[in-house]
Amino acid sequence: MKLVHALPILPILIAAAGLSCADIASPTRSDAYEWRLITPTGPGTADTLSFHWPSSRLPVKVWAQDTLNLPVHTKDGIAQWKASFLYGEFDAVMVSDSNVADVMVSAGQAIKGGFSVTRLESMLAPECEGGTDFDLPVGSREIQPPIRIFLNLRVVPTAPGVEQCLALTTTHELGHAIGIFAHSPVATDLMYPDPTVAVPSDRDRTTAELVYHTEPTLTVGPR
Amino acid sequence: MRALLAVLIALPSTGLPILHAQTDYYARLGATYTTKLLRDVIFQEIHVRQSVAPTLVLGGSLPITPIYRAGLEASLTSSGYHSTEGVTETDLGTLRTGSALLNLEGPVGHRASWRAGVGLIRYLPAEDSGIFVRGGTTRFLAGAGLDYRPSLSTRWELMVSLRYDFHRFTTEELTARGFTGQQGVQRISASLGVARARARP
Repeated sequence: MKLVHALPILPILIAAAGLSCADIASPTRSDAYEWRLITPTGPGTADTLSFHWPSSRLPVKVWAQDTLNLPVHTKDGIAQWKASFLYGEFDAVMVSDSNVADVMVSAGQAIKGGFSVTRLESMLAPECEGGTDFDLPVGSREIQPPIRIFLNLRVVPTAPGVEQCLALTTTHELGHAIGIFAHSPVATDLMYPDPTVAVPSDRDRTTAELVYHTEPTLTVGPR
Repeated sequence: MRALLAVLIALPSTGLPILHAQTDYYARLGATYTTKLLRDVIFQEIHVRQSVAPTLVLGGSLPITPIYRAGLEASLTSSGYHSTEGVTETDLGTLRTGSALLNLEGPVGHRASWRAGVGLIRYLPAEDSGIFVRGGTTRFLAGAGLDYRPSLSTRWELMVSLRYDFHRFTTEELTARGFTGQQGVQRISASLGVARARARP
Protein backbone atom coordinates (compact mmCIF):
# COMPACT_ATOMS: atom_id res chain seq x y z
CA MET A 1 0.00 0.00 0.00
CA LYS A 2 1.12 3.50 -0.75
CA LEU A 3 -0.96 5.40 1.77
CA VAL A 4 1.77 7.95 2.28
CA HIS A 5 1.13 9.16 -1.25
CA ALA A 6 -2.49 9.84 -0.33
CA LEU A 7 -1.61 12.51 2.24
CA PRO A 8 -2.33 15.48 -0.09
CA ILE A 9 -6.00 14.53 -0.08
CA LEU A 10 -6.34 15.24 3.64
CA PRO A 11 -6.29 19.07 3.50
CA ILE A 12 -9.10 18.95 0.93
CA LEU A 13 -11.29 16.78 3.13
CA ILE A 14 -10.59 18.86 6.24
CA ALA A 15 -11.41 22.08 4.38
CA ALA A 16 -14.59 20.49 3.06
CA ALA A 17 -15.73 19.51 6.52
CA GLY A 18 -15.22 23.05 7.75
CA LEU A 19 -16.72 24.97 4.85
CA SER A 20 -19.62 22.79 3.84
CA CYS A 21 -21.60 23.17 7.05
CA ALA A 22 -22.53 26.81 6.55
CA ASP A 23 -26.11 27.71 5.62
CA ILE A 24 -27.15 30.71 3.60
CA ALA A 25 -29.03 33.29 5.72
CA SER A 26 -32.59 34.22 4.76
CA PRO A 27 -33.71 37.84 4.46
CA THR A 28 -35.94 39.09 7.26
CA ARG A 29 -38.83 40.05 4.93
CA SER A 30 -39.88 42.64 7.49
CA ASP A 31 -40.80 45.25 4.89
CA ALA A 32 -44.02 43.60 3.75
CA TYR A 33 -47.25 45.56 4.06
CA GLU A 34 -50.74 44.39 5.07
CA TRP A 35 -52.22 42.54 2.09
CA ARG A 36 -55.42 41.25 3.64
CA LEU A 37 -58.74 43.03 3.24
CA ILE A 38 -60.16 43.78 6.66
CA THR A 39 -63.85 44.57 6.33
CA PRO A 40 -66.10 45.76 9.16
CA THR A 41 -68.96 43.37 9.81
CA GLY A 42 -70.68 45.28 12.61
CA PRO A 43 -69.97 47.44 15.65
CA GLY A 44 -66.51 46.47 16.87
CA THR A 45 -66.23 43.42 14.62
CA ALA A 46 -64.39 42.82 11.40
CA ASP A 47 -63.65 40.07 8.92
CA THR A 48 -60.23 39.45 7.45
CA LEU A 49 -60.24 38.27 3.86
CA SER A 50 -57.15 36.70 2.37
CA PHE A 51 -56.59 34.52 -0.63
CA HIS A 52 -54.00 32.93 -2.83
CA TRP A 53 -54.26 30.55 -5.73
CA PRO A 54 -53.70 27.00 -4.48
CA SER A 55 -50.99 24.96 -6.19
CA SER A 56 -53.68 22.62 -7.50
CA ARG A 57 -55.06 25.49 -9.61
CA LEU A 58 -51.74 26.48 -11.17
CA PRO A 59 -51.13 27.67 -13.76
CA VAL A 60 -53.92 30.19 -13.40
CA LYS A 61 -55.69 30.72 -16.73
CA VAL A 62 -55.88 34.36 -17.75
CA TRP A 63 -57.83 35.77 -20.67
CA ALA A 64 -57.44 39.31 -21.98
CA GLN A 65 -59.78 41.15 -24.31
CA ASP A 66 -58.13 41.92 -27.61
CA THR A 67 -58.26 45.68 -27.31
CA LEU A 68 -56.03 48.49 -26.02
CA ASN A 69 -53.08 46.10 -26.27
CA LEU A 70 -54.41 44.34 -23.17
CA PRO A 71 -53.07 40.85 -24.12
CA VAL A 72 -49.52 42.23 -24.22
CA HIS A 73 -49.89 44.17 -20.97
CA THR A 74 -51.43 41.14 -19.29
CA LYS A 75 -48.68 38.81 -20.46
CA ASP A 76 -46.04 41.24 -19.20
CA GLY A 77 -47.85 41.60 -15.88
CA ILE A 78 -48.01 37.84 -15.40
CA ALA A 79 -44.28 37.56 -16.10
CA GLN A 80 -43.49 40.26 -13.56
CA TRP A 81 -45.50 38.65 -10.78
CA LYS A 82 -44.24 35.18 -11.63
CA ALA A 83 -40.68 36.47 -11.32
CA SER A 84 -41.50 37.66 -7.81
CA PHE A 85 -41.60 34.12 -6.49
CA LEU A 86 -38.58 31.97 -5.69
CA TYR A 87 -40.24 28.59 -5.23
CA GLY A 88 -42.86 28.25 -7.97
CA GLU A 89 -45.66 29.46 -5.72
CA PHE A 90 -47.50 31.18 -8.58
CA ASP A 91 -47.81 30.58 -12.29
CA ALA A 92 -50.27 31.70 -14.93
CA VAL A 93 -50.82 31.27 -18.64
CA MET A 94 -52.80 33.17 -21.21
CA VAL A 95 -55.82 31.41 -22.69
CA SER A 96 -57.76 32.31 -25.81
CA ASP A 97 -61.18 31.22 -24.54
CA SER A 98 -62.74 33.37 -21.81
CA ASN A 99 -65.02 30.46 -20.85
CA VAL A 100 -62.12 28.61 -19.25
CA ALA A 101 -60.44 31.66 -17.70
CA ASP A 102 -59.82 32.01 -13.97
CA VAL A 103 -59.04 35.70 -14.46
CA MET A 104 -60.50 37.93 -17.17
CA VAL A 105 -58.97 41.25 -18.20
CA SER A 106 -61.34 43.55 -20.09
CA ALA A 107 -61.77 47.16 -21.06
CA GLY A 108 -64.50 49.05 -19.29
CA GLN A 109 -65.80 50.11 -15.89
CA ALA A 110 -65.63 47.68 -13.00
CA ILE A 111 -68.82 45.79 -12.27
CA LYS A 112 -69.24 45.45 -8.53
CA GLY A 113 -69.65 41.89 -7.29
CA GLY A 114 -68.87 40.46 -3.84
CA PHE A 115 -66.15 42.98 -3.21
CA SER A 116 -63.82 44.94 -5.40
CA VAL A 117 -60.50 46.67 -5.14
CA THR A 118 -60.51 49.71 -7.34
CA ARG A 119 -57.84 52.19 -8.32
CA LEU A 120 -59.56 55.46 -9.11
CA GLU A 121 -58.91 59.19 -9.12
CA SER A 122 -55.34 58.69 -10.17
CA MET A 123 -53.32 61.88 -10.11
CA LEU A 124 -49.99 60.46 -11.20
CA ALA A 125 -51.17 58.20 -14.04
CA PRO A 126 -54.38 59.95 -15.00
CA GLU A 127 -54.80 58.43 -18.45
CA CYS A 128 -56.52 55.27 -17.20
CA GLU A 129 -58.00 53.55 -14.20
CA GLY A 130 -58.49 49.97 -13.15
CA GLY A 131 -60.47 47.77 -10.87
CA THR A 132 -60.54 44.14 -9.81
CA ASP A 133 -63.82 42.51 -8.96
CA PHE A 134 -64.19 39.35 -6.87
CA ASP A 135 -67.48 37.49 -6.83
CA LEU A 136 -67.92 36.42 -3.21
CA PRO A 137 -71.53 35.43 -2.48
CA VAL A 138 -72.93 36.70 0.82
CA GLY A 139 -72.00 34.33 3.64
CA SER A 140 -69.64 32.33 1.44
CA ARG A 141 -65.89 31.84 1.85
CA GLU A 142 -65.45 30.72 -1.73
CA ILE A 143 -64.63 33.17 -4.51
CA GLN A 144 -66.49 32.34 -7.69
CA PRO A 145 -64.21 32.56 -10.71
CA PRO A 146 -63.50 34.31 -12.92
CA ILE A 147 -61.91 37.21 -11.11
CA ARG A 148 -62.58 40.21 -13.35
CA ILE A 149 -60.09 42.97 -14.02
CA PHE A 150 -61.29 46.12 -15.76
CA LEU A 151 -59.13 48.76 -17.39
CA ASN A 152 -60.82 51.99 -18.31
CA LEU A 153 -59.37 54.81 -20.38
CA ARG A 154 -59.98 58.38 -19.21
CA VAL A 155 -58.52 59.91 -22.36
CA VAL A 156 -58.54 59.02 -26.04
CA PRO A 157 -56.53 55.85 -26.81
CA THR A 158 -53.97 57.79 -28.84
CA ALA A 159 -53.14 60.22 -26.05
CA PRO A 160 -49.57 60.24 -24.73
CA GLY A 161 -48.96 58.06 -21.71
CA VAL A 162 -51.84 55.66 -22.36
CA GLU A 163 -49.63 52.62 -22.97
CA GLN A 164 -47.57 53.21 -19.83
CA CYS A 165 -50.70 53.77 -17.75
CA LEU A 166 -52.36 50.61 -19.06
CA ALA A 167 -49.18 48.58 -18.50
CA LEU A 168 -48.69 49.54 -14.87
CA THR A 169 -52.41 49.45 -14.07
CA THR A 170 -52.78 45.96 -15.57
CA THR A 171 -49.87 44.67 -13.49
CA HIS A 172 -51.27 46.44 -10.41
CA GLU A 173 -54.68 44.83 -10.89
CA LEU A 174 -53.10 41.43 -11.50
CA GLY A 175 -51.45 41.92 -8.11
CA HIS A 176 -54.93 42.06 -6.59
CA ALA A 177 -55.99 39.00 -8.58
CA ILE A 178 -53.09 36.92 -7.21
CA GLY A 179 -54.08 37.78 -3.64
CA ILE A 180 -52.73 41.20 -2.62
CA PHE A 181 -56.14 42.56 -1.68
CA ALA A 182 -54.97 45.69 0.10
CA HIS A 183 -52.93 48.63 -1.13
CA SER A 184 -49.40 49.48 -0.08
CA PRO A 185 -48.98 52.68 1.94
CA VAL A 186 -45.67 53.43 0.16
CA ALA A 187 -45.78 55.51 -3.02
CA THR A 188 -42.85 53.70 -4.64
CA ASP A 189 -44.67 50.36 -4.61
CA LEU A 190 -46.66 49.09 -7.58
CA MET A 191 -49.49 48.21 -5.21
CA TYR A 192 -49.78 51.79 -3.95
CA PRO A 193 -53.31 53.06 -4.69
CA ASP A 194 -51.95 55.54 -7.22
CA PRO A 195 -48.79 53.84 -8.47
CA THR A 196 -46.16 55.43 -10.65
CA VAL A 197 -43.76 52.50 -10.97
CA ALA A 198 -44.24 49.89 -13.67
CA VAL A 199 -42.89 46.81 -11.91
CA PRO A 200 -43.33 45.26 -8.46
CA SER A 201 -40.93 46.74 -5.91
CA ASP A 202 -38.92 44.66 -3.45
CA ARG A 203 -41.65 45.34 -0.90
CA ASP A 204 -44.36 44.20 -3.34
CA ARG A 205 -42.43 41.00 -4.02
CA THR A 206 -41.88 40.30 -0.34
CA THR A 207 -45.58 40.85 0.31
CA ALA A 208 -46.52 38.50 -2.54
CA GLU A 209 -44.23 35.85 -1.04
CA LEU A 210 -45.94 36.17 2.34
CA VAL A 211 -49.38 35.92 0.69
CA TYR A 212 -48.45 32.52 -0.73
CA HIS A 213 -46.99 31.20 2.52
CA THR A 214 -49.97 32.15 4.69
CA GLU A 215 -53.12 30.09 5.11
CA PRO A 216 -55.88 31.97 3.25
CA THR A 217 -59.34 32.59 4.68
CA LEU A 218 -60.96 32.32 1.24
CA THR A 219 -60.89 29.55 -1.33
CA VAL A 220 -61.69 29.65 -5.02
CA GLY A 221 -64.49 27.66 -6.59
CA PRO A 222 -64.27 25.47 -9.68
CA ARG A 223 -64.37 27.04 -13.10
CA MET B 1 -6.90 24.64 -17.30
CA ARG B 2 -7.47 25.39 -20.98
CA ALA B 3 -3.78 24.77 -21.69
CA LEU B 4 -3.90 21.38 -20.04
CA LEU B 5 -7.04 20.48 -21.96
CA ALA B 6 -5.38 21.51 -25.19
CA VAL B 7 -2.40 19.32 -24.37
CA LEU B 8 -4.63 16.36 -23.56
CA ILE B 9 -6.53 16.74 -26.81
CA ALA B 10 -3.44 17.28 -28.90
CA LEU B 11 -1.34 14.47 -27.47
CA PRO B 12 -2.71 11.58 -29.53
CA SER B 13 -1.60 13.28 -32.73
CA THR B 14 1.70 14.71 -31.62
CA GLY B 15 3.77 11.66 -32.29
CA LEU B 16 5.18 11.52 -28.79
CA PRO B 17 4.76 7.80 -28.32
CA ILE B 18 6.07 7.59 -24.77
CA LEU B 19 3.97 10.40 -23.44
CA HIS B 20 1.03 9.15 -25.44
CA ALA B 21 1.36 5.75 -23.83
CA GLN B 22 1.25 7.36 -20.40
CA THR B 23 -1.72 9.58 -21.14
CA ASP B 24 -4.87 8.46 -19.45
CA TYR B 25 -8.38 8.86 -20.87
CA TYR B 26 -11.64 7.70 -19.39
CA ALA B 27 -15.40 8.02 -19.57
CA ARG B 28 -17.93 7.03 -16.92
CA LEU B 29 -21.64 7.08 -16.22
CA GLY B 30 -23.10 7.29 -12.76
CA ALA B 31 -25.32 9.15 -10.36
CA THR B 32 -24.79 12.21 -8.17
CA TYR B 33 -26.48 13.01 -4.88
CA THR B 34 -26.50 16.67 -3.86
CA THR B 35 -27.28 18.15 -0.46
CA LYS B 36 -29.70 21.07 -0.25
CA LEU B 37 -29.01 24.11 -2.39
CA LEU B 38 -30.91 26.48 -0.20
CA ARG B 39 -32.65 26.79 3.15
CA ASP B 40 -35.14 29.60 3.58
CA VAL B 41 -37.75 30.44 6.17
CA ILE B 42 -41.09 32.06 5.27
CA PHE B 43 -43.10 31.19 8.39
CA GLN B 44 -41.79 27.63 8.00
CA GLU B 45 -38.65 26.11 6.54
CA ILE B 46 -38.25 25.75 2.80
CA HIS B 47 -35.53 23.62 1.27
CA VAL B 48 -34.47 23.53 -2.37
CA ARG B 49 -32.81 20.33 -3.55
CA GLN B 50 -31.64 18.83 -6.78
CA SER B 51 -32.79 15.25 -7.31
CA VAL B 52 -30.29 12.41 -7.70
CA ALA B 53 -28.85 13.13 -11.12
CA PRO B 54 -27.59 10.90 -13.90
CA THR B 55 -23.97 11.86 -14.44
CA LEU B 56 -21.55 11.72 -17.36
CA VAL B 57 -17.85 12.06 -16.58
CA LEU B 58 -15.01 12.53 -19.04
CA GLY B 59 -11.41 12.99 -18.09
CA GLY B 60 -7.78 12.52 -18.72
CA SER B 61 -4.42 12.85 -16.98
CA LEU B 62 -0.70 13.05 -17.58
CA PRO B 63 2.20 11.93 -15.39
CA ILE B 64 4.00 14.82 -13.71
CA THR B 65 6.31 12.72 -11.52
CA PRO B 66 6.94 9.00 -11.34
CA ILE B 67 4.20 8.83 -8.67
CA TYR B 68 1.74 11.65 -9.27
CA ARG B 69 -0.37 12.61 -12.25
CA ALA B 70 -2.24 15.79 -13.12
CA GLY B 71 -5.55 15.62 -14.84
CA LEU B 72 -8.70 17.33 -15.89
CA GLU B 73 -12.10 15.81 -15.16
CA ALA B 74 -15.37 17.22 -16.49
CA SER B 75 -18.79 16.08 -15.41
CA LEU B 76 -22.32 16.84 -16.51
CA THR B 77 -25.43 16.18 -14.44
CA SER B 78 -29.08 16.69 -15.30
CA SER B 79 -32.11 16.20 -13.10
CA GLY B 80 -35.12 17.94 -11.65
CA TYR B 81 -34.99 20.25 -8.67
CA HIS B 82 -37.72 21.02 -6.23
CA SER B 83 -38.66 22.97 -3.15
CA THR B 84 -40.04 21.37 -0.02
CA GLU B 85 -42.14 23.24 2.54
CA GLY B 86 -43.61 21.01 5.21
CA VAL B 87 -45.21 18.15 3.29
CA THR B 88 -45.60 20.19 0.11
CA GLU B 89 -43.12 19.54 -2.66
CA THR B 90 -43.05 21.81 -5.71
CA ASP B 91 -41.33 20.85 -8.94
CA LEU B 92 -39.12 23.72 -10.07
CA GLY B 93 -38.03 22.29 -13.40
CA THR B 94 -34.81 20.87 -14.76
CA LEU B 95 -31.37 21.79 -13.49
CA ARG B 96 -28.13 20.82 -15.20
CA THR B 97 -24.66 21.29 -13.84
CA GLY B 98 -21.35 21.22 -15.63
CA SER B 99 -18.15 21.03 -13.65
CA ALA B 100 -14.46 20.82 -14.33
CA LEU B 101 -11.81 19.84 -11.80
CA LEU B 102 -8.07 20.13 -12.17
CA ASN B 103 -6.82 17.11 -10.25
CA LEU B 104 -3.73 15.76 -8.64
CA GLU B 105 -3.72 11.97 -8.63
CA GLY B 106 -1.68 9.45 -6.70
CA PRO B 107 -1.65 5.73 -6.02
CA VAL B 108 -3.29 4.01 -3.06
CA GLY B 109 -2.67 0.44 -4.18
CA HIS B 110 -1.84 -1.43 -7.36
CA ARG B 111 -5.19 -0.77 -9.02
CA ALA B 112 -6.52 2.02 -6.83
CA SER B 113 -5.78 5.70 -6.78
CA TRP B 114 -6.89 8.88 -5.04
CA ARG B 115 -7.41 12.25 -6.57
CA ALA B 116 -8.06 15.75 -5.27
CA GLY B 117 -8.54 18.98 -7.07
CA VAL B 118 -10.12 22.34 -7.55
CA GLY B 119 -12.24 23.76 -10.30
CA LEU B 120 -15.54 25.33 -11.20
CA ILE B 121 -19.17 24.28 -11.30
CA ARG B 122 -21.75 25.96 -13.50
CA TYR B 123 -25.49 25.73 -12.80
CA LEU B 124 -27.56 25.63 -15.98
CA PRO B 125 -31.30 25.83 -15.26
CA ALA B 126 -33.60 24.89 -18.13
CA GLU B 127 -35.68 27.98 -17.39
CA ASP B 128 -34.62 31.29 -15.90
CA SER B 129 -37.12 31.39 -13.05
CA GLY B 130 -37.29 31.35 -9.27
CA ILE B 131 -33.87 31.41 -7.64
CA PHE B 132 -32.36 31.34 -11.15
CA VAL B 133 -34.54 34.12 -12.59
CA ARG B 134 -31.35 36.11 -13.35
CA GLY B 135 -29.69 33.06 -14.88
CA GLY B 136 -27.32 30.33 -13.73
CA THR B 137 -24.32 30.76 -11.51
CA THR B 138 -20.69 29.64 -11.51
CA ARG B 139 -19.02 28.65 -8.25
CA PHE B 140 -15.60 27.46 -7.16
CA LEU B 141 -15.46 23.75 -6.49
CA ALA B 142 -13.10 21.50 -4.53
CA GLY B 143 -13.27 17.76 -4.56
CA ALA B 144 -11.61 14.45 -3.97
CA GLY B 145 -12.20 10.86 -4.94
CA LEU B 146 -11.10 7.29 -5.23
CA ASP B 147 -10.76 5.16 -8.36
CA TYR B 148 -10.44 1.42 -8.74
CA ARG B 149 -9.36 0.15 -12.15
CA PRO B 150 -9.25 -3.61 -12.70
CA SER B 151 -7.99 -4.70 -16.09
CA LEU B 152 -10.45 -5.60 -18.84
CA SER B 153 -7.95 -6.22 -21.62
CA THR B 154 -4.52 -5.10 -22.65
CA ARG B 155 -6.01 -1.85 -23.93
CA TRP B 156 -8.87 -1.15 -21.52
CA GLU B 157 -9.59 -1.04 -17.82
CA LEU B 158 -12.85 -0.95 -15.93
CA MET B 159 -13.08 2.22 -13.85
CA VAL B 160 -15.13 2.36 -10.65
CA SER B 161 -15.13 5.77 -9.01
CA LEU B 162 -16.39 7.54 -5.95
CA ARG B 163 -16.32 11.32 -5.83
CA TYR B 164 -16.98 13.93 -3.20
CA ASP B 165 -16.95 17.64 -3.83
CA PHE B 166 -18.25 20.80 -2.24
CA HIS B 167 -18.92 24.39 -3.11
CA ARG B 168 -20.69 27.43 -1.71
CA PHE B 169 -23.95 28.14 -3.48
CA THR B 170 -25.84 31.35 -4.12
CA THR B 171 -27.32 33.11 -7.13
CA GLU B 172 -27.54 36.69 -8.28
CA GLU B 173 -31.27 36.66 -7.54
CA LEU B 174 -30.77 35.39 -3.98
CA THR B 175 -28.24 38.11 -3.30
CA ALA B 176 -30.61 40.72 -4.74
CA ARG B 177 -33.37 39.42 -2.47
CA GLY B 178 -31.26 39.97 0.62
CA PHE B 179 -29.92 36.48 1.26
CA THR B 180 -26.52 36.70 2.90
CA GLY B 181 -23.69 34.20 2.96
CA GLN B 182 -23.69 31.10 0.84
CA GLN B 183 -25.06 27.61 1.24
CA GLY B 184 -22.49 24.86 1.68
CA VAL B 185 -23.35 22.21 -0.88
CA GLN B 186 -21.80 18.76 -0.93
CA ARG B 187 -22.08 16.25 -3.75
CA ILE B 188 -21.33 12.55 -3.73
CA SER B 189 -21.24 10.52 -6.89
CA ALA B 190 -20.61 6.93 -7.86
CA SER B 191 -19.84 5.99 -11.43
CA LEU B 192 -18.69 3.17 -13.63
CA GLY B 193 -16.88 3.36 -16.94
CA VAL B 194 -13.90 2.45 -19.00
CA ALA B 195 -10.39 3.83 -19.10
CA ARG B 196 -7.53 3.41 -21.45
CA ALA B 197 -5.03 0.98 -19.91
CA ARG B 198 -1.82 2.70 -18.83
CA ALA B 199 1.63 1.71 -17.72
CA ARG B 200 1.91 1.59 -13.94
CA PRO B 201 4.90 2.42 -11.78
